[in-house]
Amino acid sequence: MRSILKTLAALLLAALSAGAAWAATFTASLDRDAIALGEQATLSLKFEGIQPQNAPLLPDIAGLQFQYVGPSSSFSFINGQTSSSTTYNYLVAAQRAGEFTIPGMRADVNGQQLSSQPLKLTVTPAGAPSAAAVNSGSEPAFMKFTFPKNKIYVGEPAVGRLEVYIRDDVQNFASFQLTGSPADGFSAGKPAEMPNQRRRVQVGNHVYTIIPLAVPLVALRTGQLTLGPFTGSAVVVLPSQNQGGDPFLRQFFNQGEQKQVALATELFKVESVPLPEANQPANFTGAVGDFTMAATAGPTTVTVGDPITVRVQISGRGALDAVKLPAQDAWNNFKTFPPTSKLETSDQFGFQGTRTFEQIVSPQNADVHELPALTFSFFNPDDGQYHTLTQAAVPLTIKAAGTSPLPALAAAKNSPPENQALPDLLPIKENLGALATSAPPLLTHPAFLITQSLPVLAFLGALIWRRRTDHLANNPRLRRQRAVAQLVRAGLNDLKKFAADNKSDEFFALLFRLLQEQLGERLDCPATAITENVIDENPVLRGAPDATRGALRELFQLCNQARYAPVRGTSELNSVSAKFEKTVGELQEVKA
Amino acid sequence: MKTQSLRSRRRKAAQFKIGNRQSAIGNQFVPRCLGGLGILILLALGFAGNLFAADVTADFSSANELYAKGKFVEAAAAYEKILQTGVVTPALQFNAANAEFKSGHLGQAIAAYRLAEQLSPRDAELRANLAFVRNQVQGATVRESLGQNWAGTLTLNEGAVLTAVLFWLTLALFSLRQLQPALVPKLKTANRILVALTLFSGLVLGLQAANHFASATAVVIADNATARSGPFDDAQSVFTVRDGAELPVLDQRDGWVQVANGAGKSGWLPARQVEVLPGS
Repeated sequence: MRSILKTLAALLLAALSAGAAWAATFTASLDRDAIALGEQATLSLKFEGIQPQNAPLLPDIAGLQFQYVGPSSSFSFINGQTSSSTTYNYLVAAQRAGEFTIPGMRADVNGQQLSSQPLKLTVTPAGAPSAAAVNSGSEPAFMKFTFPKNKIYVGEPAVGRLEVYIRDDVQNFASFQLTGSPADGFSAGKPAEMPNQRRRVQVGNHVYTIIPLAVPLVALRTGQLTLGPFTGSAVVVLPSQNQGGDPFLRQFFNQGEQKQVALATELFKVESVPLPEANQPANFTGAVGDFTMAATAGPTTVTVGDPITVRVQISGRGALDAVKLPAQDAWNNFKTFPPTSKLETSDQFGFQGTRTFEQIVSPQNADVHELPALTFSFFNPDDGQYHTLTQAAVPLTIKAAGTSPLPALAAAKNSPPENQALPDLLPIKENLGALATSAPPLLTHPAFLITQSLPVLAFLGALIWRRRTDHLANNPRLRRQRAVAQLVRAGLNDLKKFAADNKSDEFFALLFRLLQEQLGERLDCPATAITENVIDENPVLRGAPDATRGALRELFQLCNQARYAPVRGTSELNSVSAKFEKTVGELQEVKA
Repeated sequence: MKTQSLRSRRRKAAQFKIGNRQSAIGNQFVPRCLGGLGILILLALGFAGNLFAADVTADFSSANELYAKGKFVEAAAAYEKILQTGVVTPALQFNAANAEFKSGHLGQAIAAYRLAEQLSPRDAELRANLAFVRNQVQGATVRESLGQNWAGTLTLNEGAVLTAVLFWLTLALFSLRQLQPALVPKLKTANRILVALTLFSGLVLGLQAANHFASATAVVIADNATARSGPFDDAQSVFTVRDGAELPVLDQRDGWVQVANGAGKSGWLPARQVEVLPGS
């Protein structure tokens, strides 16, 4: 009994401990509650006793940026109690100084509603280290910004220099990033390291390595402008302060101490002044810098309306992006098409290079003799003056339209050399040609489509005729039947004719022959073998109506009598002819 | 040009006289029989046709004169006026295209050249000018495939007539075989060749017809046209195309034309900014 109670108590304890292990919790924590602008804190969201499917979504907080780093998990078994947890880590960076509150977050995990407590984060303004701090060597890294000018013209490009100083004893300098590049009133390009310009300098009692970064800037407005403070952060590894352990091993295995440092520069004030209005050329389009110009035009012998390609190259140093080809007022005898442009830079900031414009112009009349001089004006901030570049006029030979000979044509799109004529538009046609009206295609005309059935019908007709002919050729009985029918049709006409002419002998001779032919065909025997006797002897004719047989017998007898009897009259012959026709019709009904 | 104009006027006057004489002859026959009425109608139609042709020729000469003087915009308008009467000739479309190009209207020039090409596809001058103008076009454009180009060397009507003639000849030969079986061995080769030619011609005609009836091309006639994601003015911009760009038409709806830019994008352009042409 005692052992049973012990077992029950153990089971109860196990159930209670398991219940404790299943109680899910959700906590949020920051690795520190105060950072300087440019530094980063780590936010950890920890789930204990439960495993969420995905990392929780964080709230949007103005001024704070969260970057998901990844999850970590732990599992422990202590004194028979198990526990597991999953932690989601985020880097928190501030975009401005101030007090921030990360509100309590809610998570729905497997149907359980969990919530975390709110957190506070204080972000202090970044500041450049004092000169004393720098000189004392207490800063493992710091940053400086220099700008070549205190006064700049609007539109003038300049390159700022951002220098990162790294103390010599820094074992590793990593994860450097600029967190803020305030350049109000400037158009700032992407900072880039200036190649081959790293150097070492002595600052106070320490030697620092300088990594210079170039920041391309173009002033956009006038007034007092400020650059900076540029802020950044980096992770440095410093020699470990822990002097314990074996000094011999320490020199090989000293992994150093990792430290995150915030970097910031001082403010830099620049006065941006407007371009002078005095002496500003009429065709000035805002180009600021120092430029040269080269221009070509071709072909120079064209017909009115034909295209001439004008190629203008503006080279030099300045805000090449803003360089525009000015409208040329002197080109009023030309139709101008919008120019195309191509920029080729020779430095990494795009401030040095060549901008090439190609513009198609076409002369509008034959009185034009030259392409007037091309002008381009720019403001040079170095001497503070406007300059106008002029390309000399290009002589042209313009022919009236419709009179030019046929030029050679080429479809190549690449521009030919200047001394080679461009392909030209061929002149208009003088003859109108055959008049036509807009009409739908033939394929949509029902008449055209119906017409195409005619050869098909003709072919079908020929096919049927061929089949019938072949059928006839293979059936001599049928062929004889048709031949006799034709003979009888022709004979009837002759009989009528002989009757009309009262030619009794010819009439009866023909009648006798026709009777022989018709009966021969019906009885399928030679015509010459037919006599009056077949009427009673042939089984086919025995099946014929008596009237038919009587008529046949009568016709045979008339033929025989005609050889001896006197000549008969026309009317009598006509009645005999009619009787023959009727009898033949009846005979053809008799089945052979 | 003045001489030419005078010549055309003289031709017009001569045609007028002939027409009058024919009308007079017709009048004598009218009271006599109904057949006379038919002749009269035919003569009247011929007379009207002559007058119409003379007018068109004169207008064409006038437009050519404007072109020669470098008044390209006016010349383009004059050619357009003739085209609006329904008259079409390859030369008229060709000259209209030249005038449009010289007026700075690349798209309208290309559209006119392509219409002329449909009437006279083997005109070397026309093809040369079309190639020249196309070379001036900037930005995305989609040209005909090699097969479409090849099939386009015949007009659709020429293809239809050629196929019909071959079809008739083939069936005539088949019919002759039925009527004269003795000729079958002699006609064997000719028959096979004709059947092959007919099938090939029919295939080409099928391609032409599919190209003509099932596909259309939009030629952009605006300086910068913005293709939008939907047929609405406030739809998001997808891409822009320049004057003269040729784009396959995917759909047309409520004054908008959906086109593809050849780079896998499609967008809607206002119909007023494009000229929609049949396939070829």
